[in-house]
Amino acid sequence: MTTEQITSVAERPDPTASVAPARAANRPRVSMTARRHRAFYMFTSPWIIGFLLLTIAPMAYALWLSLTTFDGLSPNWRFVGLDNYRELLSDPVTWDALGRAGLFAVTSVPLSILAGLALAVLVNRPLRARGLFRTLLYLPAVVPPVGAGLAFKQLFDQNSGAANGVLNLFGIDALGWLADPYARYVLLMTVLWTAGNIMIISLAGLQDVPRELHEAARVDGASAWRTFRSITVPLLSPVLLFQTVTGVIASVQTIMPLLLAPDGTTAGVTLVPQSNYLYMMHVFAQYFAIGRYGYASALLWVLFVLILVVTGLIFRFTSGAVFYNVDPEAKK
Amino acid sequence: MTATSPSPKSSASAAGVKVRVNRLVLYTVLVVITGLFLGPFGWLVVSGLKTQAELASSPVRWLPEHIQWHNFTDAFHQIDFLGYARNSLVIALVYATLVTLSSAWVGFGFARLNAPGKKTLFGVLLGSMMLPQLVTLLPTYLIFAELGMVDTYWPWVLWGLSSAPYLVFLFRQFFAGLPRELEEAAIVDGCGYTRMFWRIFLPQSWPVVSASFIIAFTWTWGDYIAPQLLLSSDRTTLAVAIMSAYNTPAGQPVPELQAAASVMYVVPILLIFLVAQRGFVAGMSTSGLK
Repeated sequence: MTTEQITSVAERPDPTASVAPARAANRPRVSMTARRHRAFYMFTSPWIIGFLLLTIAPMAYALWLSLTTFDGLSPNWRFVGLDNYRELLSDPVTWDALGRAGLFAVTSVPLSILAGLALAVLVNRPLRARGLFRTLLYLPAVVPPVGAGLAFKQLFDQNSGAANGVLNLFGIDALGWLADPYARYVLLMTVLWTAGNIMIISLAGLQDVPRELHEAARVDGASAWRTFRSITVPLLSPVLLFQTVTGVIASVQTIMPLLLAPDGTTAGVTLVPQSNYLYMMHVFAQYFAIGRYGYASALLWVLFVLILVVTGLIFRFTSGAVFYNVDPEAKK
Repeated sequence: MTATSPSPKSSASAAGVKVRVNRLVLYTVLVVITGLFLGPFGWLVVSGLKTQAELASSPVRWLPEHIQWHNFTDAFHQIDFLGYARNSLVIALVYATLVTLSSAWVGFGFARLNAPGKKTLFGVLLGSMMLPQLVTLLPTYLIFAELGMVDTYWPWVLWGLSSAPYLVFLFRQFFAGLPRELEEAAIVDGCGYTRMFWRIFLPQSWPVVSASFIIAFTWTWGDYIAPQLLLSSDRTTLAVAIMSAYNTPAGQPVPELQAAASVMYVVPILLIFLVAQRGFVAGMSTSGLK
């Protein structure tokens, strides 16, 4: 890159060397290109350096650790090759945690997208106090995770929670919401609670749908559902794809199971009920409760690769279905 | 409607009734959903106003017999609430300021400058938005521990200086939309790119600056796992303190104070959101690949 830059700068003045006025006119321009190049790297260097030091280096370090028995304490750690990977593949706890994480992703992501989309369609109608409804529905998405976790712990408390209070009104016995097997539903509800996020993003997309399209559909006698399915959804599809990808990544990384557990500290990860013991909680347990940094790093790398693969697959399988309204002339 | 030739007038009024019923259903649905969405936080507020006995009673006591306002002042005294709030504030302000400036700086580079390799780098930047941050945080924590940066605020300074891909993207979109003449005029005036950035482009971008600042501030205020890992219990943030510090000397949790404290922890963020809604939403919808 840099050699190319240098030669291009060095060569260009040559042809005009004999013509003094042309040279005078050319020189500032050439040095300006070089200056531009240098300026580009000067401006982008904070991100480049930060990315190398704070993302690439830690991941490389984790990759190295994953090949060792390092635990942060004992000096007798050693290189064990792929042993950690072999062990995690044969550990049923890993597979169970992975399965629960997968189940959580394929339920929470579509459900919250559907909920967000439904809310967007609702508050996109001409309503009185429309702005107020939008604000209030979005509000939970702003609540920090710790606030959300504590709020849901109070709401679903076995004794004093409102959820059991409502069940009691119908003569149903109190449930242990925060324990097995119900904890997973509480976890799911914390995700749906923040569907206002998706509502706001979809709303921006809905407002971009050209009015003429809707009018044309109405003239053709299309039902509201048909219009929604054939016009709104395709035009929203880039937004929906983006939501799917970020939703999957967020669902894999959620720390909400920890915040809903009796002790929310990282050491309290062992108190997370089985049904909320997602893959990330397994990683936490290995890092912070057991301190097997090497093994935990192997778990992290497996997760990292899985996320890349899943994201890639989502993009791949939706490439034909997603409609980008960028260039009307472009053919799909 | 049936085919028995209704007079046009009656069919019109029937349609009117139908519209009105539809509206009624629509508003009812909306009000119920909104109530459900506000419920969890409302219940947290109510819980913060009860006595400990009321919070332990089964079946549930819906409302406190006497409103326990003193829970809110007690929550201040039981732990060093203001001290933790100050820690949260310092970290959030430092990070938000640095990351906004660095992201604007990097965004300017991607928007207005050119060099070999730019396309690849921008692709990497967009891709890195998709990287699972918690996955990279755990080994980063181990490295910071090795470097002795645990229990200092240096990690947030470094994270702030290295810019955030999502905010870089926001700034890039904004700067790319500014007219070319702005830059050309500056070049004619002999203004270097650094001065051009500080004097012309950054002041132009104040809507993005404020949106970015607010987004970064609320991220950091809400972050739980990084301060929980990196800071000791004295220097940690409010988020961590609320989660773990409201215990009796015997280690029993004090739920009513915890509820009151978490209300006081969340309300500032809600207020910031209500005041700066426009910036929030603009930032959000730009992220939707628009």
